[in-house]
Amino acid sequence: MSAARAFVVLAIACLVLCPAGVRAQRRGGGPPAGPPASPRAAAPIDLTGQWVAIISEDWRWRMITPPKGDIVSIPLNLQGQQTAEAWDPAKDEAAGEQCKAYGAPGLMRGPIRMRISWADDNTLKVETDYGMQTRLLQFASAGTSPARSWQGTTSAQWLIKGGGRGSQRYGSLKTITTNLRPGYLRKNGVPYSERAVFTEFWDMHTLPNGDRYLVNTNVVEDPVYLQLPFETAIHYRLERDTSRWDPTPCDARF
Amino acid sequence: MKASLPMVARALSGPRLKQGVIALGIVIAVSSPAFAQVELSGSYSIRMYEDYIERGPGSFMGDFTGMPMSDEGRAKALLYTSNLPSMIERQCLAQSPWVGQYRPLGLRIWSEVDDGRVVAWVIAGDYLRGTITIWMDGRPHPSPNAWHPPSGFSTGHWEGDTLVVRTTHVKTAWIRRGVGIPGSDKSEFTVLITRHENLLTITTIQDDPIYLTEPHVVSRVWEFDPNGSQAPNNRSTCNVGNEIPALEDTGKVPHYLPGANPEEDYMVKHYNVPKDAAMGHAYTLYPEYRKMLRGSYTPPTSCDRYCCGWIERQGLPGAAPSLTCNDGNLPRALRDALTNQR
Repeated sequence: MSAARAFVVLAIACLVLCPAGVRAQRRGGGPPAGPPASPRAAAPIDLTGQWVAIISEDWRWRMITPPKGDIVSIPLNLQGQQTAEAWDPAKDEAAGEQCKAYGAPGLMRGPIRMRISWADDNTLKVETDYGMQTRLLQFASAGTSPARSWQGTTSAQWLIKGGGRGSQRYGSLKTITTNLRPGYLRKNGVPYSERAVFTEFWDMHTLPNGDRYLVNTNVVEDPVYLQLPFETAIHYRLERDTSRWDPTPCDARF
Repeated sequence: MKASLPMVARALSGPRLKQGVIALGIVIAVSSPAFAQVELSGSYSIRMYEDYIERGPGSFMGDFTGMPMSDEGRAKALLYTSNLPSMIERQCLAQSPWVGQYRPLGLRIWSEVDDGRVVAWVIAGDYLRGTITIWMDGRPHPSPNAWHPPSGFSTGHWEGDTLVVRTTHVKTAWIRRGVGIPGSDKSEFTVLITRHENLLTITTIQDDPIYLTEPHVVSRVWEFDPNGSQAPNNRSTCNVGNEIPALEDTGKVPHYLPGANPEEDYMVKHYNVPKDAAMGHAYTLYPEYRKMLRGSYTPPTSCDRYCCGWIERQGLPGAAPSLTCNDGNLPRALRDALTNQR
């Protein structure tokens, strides 16, 4: 093959195979002209809908309240264990802190249904019936940090793959939650501190039969109460029948 | 006027043209969509932060919580005794594809490459019966009547950063760990393998028309281990041997008769777990079941066994000095020795 012919063949191959991003960079190093798509418009996956937690793991620690001192599986340090041993739900109730087990790191492992929707073009809203909590996953900076809360402040970003030359786009969502009020990883008082950082990867999968699963791989890092990052994966299934949504308030005991 | 590619080619001469060819080749090489979307190769350390008791010391007998079992599955599971795996012909029943989801050791993953293309991913781990080969070359699954090898037959494809696997042709097995929950040879698995940064998530969705009433879903996390320190744990064979000589050549099969399993109520008595949840009914897996328990469930007054399992793993001292942990499992002498070390 002559060099000229090889050049033509390679150029055509590049047109077919090079991802759009590479060619876009050749055109000027950035995305096409015009305003960037909003996070809502750019979403590579559709997380909206009603999801139900399938409690097929750690049933005895997630579905019902385990006894005080049952800290199995969680890499607490000594301070964390001592704090867990001191759990007193009556004290939480008296302090108006019945929702300590419903902060984001504990909430997501709970027996929840959650409804995910777009609050606006930059914010995904996650509402749960369990404890009637609302998380806001913000793609744009929230500016000044509000006061600490059970759900804290969550920054979100899409991790996008594919999409070049009409190919299917895939992706997942990464969120990082900080600014949390101290709470519980488990209903029986296993603690996390206000310095906890909660990182989540949200992956959605559609099976050939149409069933949709959401897998939330997450890490709780807490220099106060944990020896090591607490890493788990939690799974949910999309519900088309939304009739089982049943909001119930926080409960410090059950 | 747009320049055609041949015109561009002609405009370039000798050395320039060669440079252009090389440059284009490099662009294609580095930017073409890869057949593997994520490099999975490497060793991964176990993170037993879920179901520690099952994955560590082993489940309590009669604990089927979190399982969507059929009546047939429940009946068969309740015939199980701990002596049953001692029989040579049943010793490998606990080792089936994806049983690593319920076991305490790490994983090693590598690719099989042919002419530069990944034709298969191979997973070795605490499976004890060979490796799991996930064919990526588009080959079809065998006939349903084909031989069921110990590792089943798996094919995969990428959906973004997730390797989606379908496993068929498995053998009859015990799933979960150590309590006799059965899986039939009609089981099929959809497996989702995703790597985010150093975390590897494996989600298994098992369909079994015989012993399950709905798909059984489990998701676990491993962490990339650049030192490969889990390698010694990647055993790949199931060695059998006669463990109960008195049973040899007698034709006896250890089992409980229907309705006679003394462990059937263990979870009820020790943890106040409702019987229907302990016996693995699917409806107990969903939030509405919890609400049915309001007013009737009372937590045990204290935790008396495996309460701080992560710390007492392998019988080694944890990193929490002076901790008084009610482990309920370690021999007193060992517990005292560990306490003194702290």
